[in-house]
Amino acid sequence: MTVSDPVREKLWDPALRAFHWLLAFFVIAAWVLGKFGPANMWLHFWCGYAVAGLLVFRLVWGFVGPKPARFSHFLTGPGKMLRYARGMFRRVPSYWPGHNPLGALSVIAMLLVLAAQVGSGLVSDPDDFINIGPLAGQVSRATSRAAVGWHNLGAVVILLLVVLHVGMILFYRLWKREDLVRPMLTGWKLVRRDD
Amino acid sequence: MRLILAAAFAAIPVLAIAQDNSVEQDALKARQGYMVAISANMGPLAAMAKGDMEYNEEQAVFHASNLAALGNYEVEMHFLPGTAQGELEGSHALAKTWDNLDDVRAKHDDFKVAAAAAPEGVKGGQAQVGAVVQSLGGTCKACHDNYRAK
Repeated sequence: MTVSDPVREKLWDPALRAFHWLLAFFVIAAWVLGKFGPANMWLHFWCGYAVAGLLVFRLVWGFVGPKPARFSHFLTGPGKMLRYARGMFRRVPSYWPGHNPLGALSVIAMLLVLAAQVGSGLVSDPDDFINIGPLAGQVSRATSRAAVGWHNLGAVVILLLVVLHVGMILFYRLWKREDLVRPMLTGWKLVRRDD
Repeated sequence: MRLILAAAFAAIPVLAIAQDNSVEQDALKARQGYMVAISANMGPLAAMAKGDMEYNEEQAVFHASNLAALGNYEVEMHFLPGTAQGELEGSHALAKTWDNLDDVRAKHDDFKVAAAAAPEGVKGGQAQVGAVVQSLGGTCKACHDNYRAK
C-alpha cells in the first residue's frame, strides 16, 4: 500500500456547515433554556422547532447532498470501524476525508437522540398549563406524562453525546494534532485518499 | 385453637382493608385529589387563555375563586413521612421533597399568592386570563421541576 501525501480539499459544503453550527446553537440554547430558562418556555419550544427543521434538512441532505454529507458515504461496517479504532491512538492526523467510521456512529447517535428528543418534547405535558407540547393532545394522558420523563432523560443523553463530541475534537487537536474545527468553518481540510 | 385460627383467617380481609386505608394512603389520595382539584379549575382558565373556550368573566372568576380557596389550603399536612415515590405505590413525590419541606412550603406560598390575585386578575377580558394562567402555571412548574418524579 502506498501512502500518498495529504492534499487540501474542499470537504464540507456550505449548507452542511451552516447546518452544523445552527444545530449546535439551537441545541445548546434549548438545553440551557430548558434547565435554567424562564417559567414560560416558548423560546425553548422555538429552539426545538428549529432543531426539528434542521434534522429534516440533514435527513434529506444525507441522501441528496454532496458525497461527504451522504449516509452511504460515511456509514460503514464493523470491520472498517475496528480497523479505524485500532489506528486511532497513533499520534498522527487521520487526514480522513469526511466523517471517520467511528465518528459516523456518533453522528447517527446524535441525529437519532435529537429526533427522539424533539418527539418527546412535542407530546409532553408537564401539568403546568403553560408549557404543554403542541401534540400532547394527540396522545394518551399517560404517554404525555411519561414523555416528560423521556425528555428529561434525553437531555442527559444529549449532554453526554456533546461532551463526547467536544472531547474527541480536543483529542484530535491535542493528541493527534489535527484541527477538525477549522474545516467545519471553512470547508477546507487536509485529506488523504489511499483507496 | 380452632377459634384462634378462625379469628386469624377472619382478620385477614380486615387487615387488607386497613392496609388500603392506611394514613399514608389517605395522605397520598388527599394530596393527589388536591392536584386534581387545581387542575379542574386551571383547565377552563387555560382553555380561555388559549381561546379554546370562549371568555366568560363570571366563569373565569368562579374558577379563579376556587383556586384562591385551594391556595389557602395547607396541603403540606398531607406530605407525611413514608409517602414518597418508592415508599408508597402511586406516589410521584421525590424523596428529596422531605429534605426540603421549607422550600416546598415557600413554593406553595407562591401559588397561594398568585391564586389570591386570580379572582380580580381574570376580570376584564381574555388577555387578563392569559396573564393569570402564566403566573399560576409558573408556580406549578417551579415545584414539579424539583419535587415531582419525571
